[in-house]
Amino acid sequence: MNHPLLDVTGASKHFLGLKAVDEVSLVVTKGEIVSIIGPNGAGKTTFFNLLTGQLAPTAGEVRLRGAQINRLAPHERARLGMGRTFQISKPLIALNALENVMIGAFMRHRKLSVVRDKAMAVLERVGLLQHARRRAGDLTLSERRRLEVARALALEPEILLLDEVMAGLNQSEVGQAIDLLKGLHATGLTFLIIEHNLKVVRAFSERVVVLDRGRLIAEGSAEQILNSPEVVKAYLGDGHKIAELKGASA
Amino acid sequence: MNKTDNTGDAVGGLSRADSGIESGQRAFVKYVLGMAALLLPLALLVDDAHWLNIIAFTYLMGGLAAAWNIIGGFGGQFSLGHGVFFGIGAYGAARLYVAYDLSPWLTVLPVAAFAAALAMLISWPTFRLRGPFFAIATLAFNEVAFVIAHNLTSVTGGPRGIMIPFKAGLENMIFRERWQYALLMFGFAALVIGITVILRRSRLGYYLLAVREDEDAARASGIDVLGVKLRGMALSAGLTAIGGTLFAMYLRFIDPPTIFNLQEVGVKFALLSLIGGIGTIAGPLLGAALIIPFENFLRAELANAIPGLSLAILGLLMVLAALFMKRGVVGAIEDLVARLRRKARGGK
Repeated sequence: MNHPLLDVTGASKHFLGLKAVDEVSLVVTKGEIVSIIGPNGAGKTTFFNLLTGQLAPTAGEVRLRGAQINRLAPHERARLGMGRTFQISKPLIALNALENVMIGAFMRHRKLSVVRDKAMAVLERVGLLQHARRRAGDLTLSERRRLEVARALALEPEILLLDEVMAGLNQSEVGQAIDLLKGLHATGLTFLIIEHNLKVVRAFSERVVVLDRGRLIAEGSAEQILNSPEVVKAYLGDGHKIAELKGASA
Repeated sequence: MNKTDNTGDAVGGLSRADSGIESGQRAFVKYVLGMAALLLPLALLVDDAHWLNIIAFTYLMGGLAAAWNIIGGFGGQFSLGHGVFFGIGAYGAARLYVAYDLSPWLTVLPVAAFAAALAMLISWPTFRLRGPFFAIATLAFNEVAFVIAHNLTSVTGGPRGIMIPFKAGLENMIFRERWQYALLMFGFAALVIGITVILRRSRLGYYLLAVREDEDAARASGIDVLGVKLRGMALSAGLTAIGGTLFAMYLRFIDPPTIFNLQEVGVKFALLSLIGGIGTIAGPLLGAALIIPFENFLRAELANAIPGLSLAILGLLMVLAALFMKRGVVGAIEDLVARLRRKARGGK
């Protein structure tokens, strides 16, 4: 049960002189929820892209279920059980919500009726069933984010990588989204999420890692991390108190 | 699994039954009815030689536009180089028939397979280009093909072209009667549309749409983007080559300016699809049904009045279509139906 699902060692990505991601190591075990936090430009999304294969690492190694996947293309990693969403959501806007999710469901199934039923079930799960026939381009921001999660879920992944799925949602939408993720976690899904909203981090994650200027500077439970002076410094600079950070997150 | 349906009803949403995805049976019935309607003009005008020519050509161009639409419309890869595959079909079958007396019925599929293989080979590097850059690259292929056809005299006959002697007979794909050709072209259109109907319900069809919409999202959904493009292109090019073979056997004379004419071939496929409704099943066929007869009419009526006027009118029409029917005729009809439905619902 406790074997590492995702095992990253010394992952680095340099753009010319800039070390966007600098020797980051991280282990995610099955069933865990790990959050990545850090200020803007810390390299969170770049790190994600190294995991999903969108970018090739300058150095380091990514293993999924023990197998080295460094050289695999994004679609091959998806087939191995890696689902992801994008920071800027990428709905297939000319297609309707159902078709969007069917695109994901086609990865593991071939028959149209099976794919349709799987996709409808996923849409129901994320609360978009009544919007099945609406064009993805006509959905609200919050619906689009849920649609992206749905498309990734339709891949029947083992681990879901969510890049700021809560961004731009209002409070009640964030609450609904947390409930959705908790429900999915209860079914055994593993999560690695990038999140700016510290309230979400506190409510949802079991373990938090902090990236700053490409480096992993802290790792621990949500409480430990959000009370760590080092993290506060990375976020707000010197001289700020924890209370302010807590206030900012509320 | 009934749970989904129940909950769907409970929230006043959709149940499985109205997911909008047609059953295979329904799609098949629609296809058969559509093809029957398509056959109607041929049945009504079977004695009119002038119209039969137009009808045959409309079927052929409709089928060719539908073949282009597979990669150009569904896959979103705006190729302007399909004249190359059309040319392979035309020259391949014509040369094999004239030089070796091989029946076009025998050679049409191997020639199409060759065109599909070549399409994959030349698309492999070009598919790295996106949008207009891809279109320009394919345009260049068409020009290269023209030069090759012009100079490779031993195969293509060079500028003098290939003349296919008139030896009527089913086995030669050469017919005495115009309606026989029209029926052949109808068969081609029905084949391409049939394949499109199946494709639209298959994994490859959905994957082509995903690739068109967003390549990064497609990759994240487990889609091998390049592989999907190559397969779509191969299918599209193979069907285009079949159309080229039929064209050669109908005209019985081919030369480079006829085959690699951008206006009449390479760009025409895209244009007919755009007018009818790009990325839809019926669109390319509708585009051909509107434009090909109209073009003939204009040419016949205006040729003696002011030279080039027919082209000007056609151009104007296309500009208007681009301005007011962005999703083509099919899109305009869909919008109209949606508006009427809404009105009917509002009236209740």
